[in-house]
Amino acid sequence: MGSAGSYGVGTGNSGAYVTEISEPARFEEEIRSLIQARFDAPPVSGGSFTALLGLSANQAVGLLHEPGAGEISAPAASSSPTGLGHPLGCSPTFPSNAALAERAASFPVFAAADSPASSSDGGPSPPLKAEPPDPDSSPPLPVPFDKPRRPAKRKDCEKQKAKGPGKKIKTAEEQTEGDQLPYVHVRARRGQATDSHSLAERARREKINARMKLLQELVPGCSKITGTALVLDEIINHVQSLQRQVEFLSMRLAAVNPRIDFGGLDSFLMAERGPLAASNGRGEAALDPVSWSSDPAPGTGLRTDLRPSQQSSTAWVYPYALIDHGTSLFGYGAANSVPLNSNQSKTDL
Amino acid sequence: MISIDTTAPAKRRPKPSPPENEWRTGAQERAYRSSLLEALRAAGERRASGPRAVKEAADSALALTARGQSRWSRAVLLRRRSRLLVRAGGRIRRRKLPRRRPVGPTPGTGQPEGKKVRDRLRALGRLVPGCENLSTVSLLEEAADYVAALEMQAKAMRTLADDLLAAAASGNGRRAEG
Repeated sequence: MGSAGSYGVGTGNSGAYVTEISEPARFEEEIRSLIQARFDAPPVSGGSFTALLGLSANQAVGLLHEPGAGEISAPAASSSPTGLGHPLGCSPTFPSNAALAERAASFPVFAAADSPASSSDGGPSPPLKAEPPDPDSSPPLPVPFDKPRRPAKRKDCEKQKAKGPGKKIKTAEEQTEGDQLPYVHVRARRGQATDSHSLAERARREKINARMKLLQELVPGCSKITGTALVLDEIINHVQSLQRQVEFLSMRLAAVNPRIDFGGLDSFLMAERGPLAASNGRGEAALDPVSWSSDPAPGTGLRTDLRPSQQSSTAWVYPYALIDHGTSLFGYGAANSVPLNSNQSKTDL
Repeated sequence: MISIDTTAPAKRRPKPSPPENEWRTGAQERAYRSSLLEALRAAGERRASGPRAVKEAADSALALTARGQSRWSRAVLLRRRSRLLVRAGGRIRRRKLPRRRPVGPTPGTGQPEGKKVRDRLRALGRLVPGCENLSTVSLLEEAADYVAALEMQAKAMRTLADDLLAAAASGNGRRAEG
């Protein structure tokens, strides 16, 4: 495959980018770049989007590549083309950012399924449907929203009517062989127009509907409501009520705040729920940090009953100015995992 | 989940994992609680104990817990940041997002194209921080994540408030006895 080189590069980038995402330190850089530059400051070569896939780009491209692709180690790579039955006789060049992102949107679905995805939707509607490859077939119809992309060398992909009992079969396929494939190949429903416009339409609408469904599940009581407008109404109300709740709670917290003893909140931090049964009895003592990992200071006998034994999970960092300084705002992320240092010396118990 | 919107065409990949499930995990809530406590402490140290400061601290903590993977969280963090920097006399060059059509007009039939639906979508966009001129697809995605995050935030804050009150109450009680 001639695209091995370019693919490797793309993978490397996206891999690095994925790592960036997961590290708070990198996160700071990213946020900085957000301020100074565009959001997609990270290296261009498709890194931003491909990395965003979460699903490593390897798998995404694995789905893109035909079974013969050796670079793809993901098992989905081999199985999906087989299952789909559409081996592409094309050598993919790795997509540029937006194009791949769009195509690969559905790939995580398939990577997870790792099974012949030809007839399984697997989740949020993939933006693309694939059709069986048809070598030497007529060129596929270009889709409007793909036009901005560079023209791709689309290999034998073609749009066909769905065969079978009219059941819509969606498969995201690697017809985005190169990243540059601007065409969306969609398998049309039986009896539906295969016009490129309407197909793009449909794909987009399905995406929207999938997200709406997700939202509906999230907001209680929305499942029974029919009609987009009403559902949206409900969602808006829910968001507003949540925001109001947060406001009220913050008012309550503000009232309590001056007398806070944050040291007595071990159980709050560790447990999921439950107010303190037996308080630390320290009332409004000075803010004294709680040590999770190190042994409790002897003077904190009052708190022993509250202190859970586990030392894992969230280490409590002595108050950084979380909000105050621009740098420390994001440095906090890294500090979160730093075990509490000897702040006990500062506290008088 | 990762979703970063760029000026690329409106096509985006669907979320690799349902965002609401992630927000409901205990790990996220614990992470948020830590952030929240820190933020509150910081606010307290800075003598900013008004309810608005508390709310901002809580929101910033929430956005931080989101790890900047969603548009609204970034908007919240940047909002604070720019305010701080502006206060410090700096200037923030905030990048104006390209204006998108709130709902893409489509020749075919479609629900999102109704007038009422469009209005509501716009209203939703105004509610979610940083999502005003977003495409429908991204907006819905952000809204889902935002709702999940808000629920977790409300729950955590409620727990915290209860804990604090209980602590304060019993603390005072004990001291009174002693």
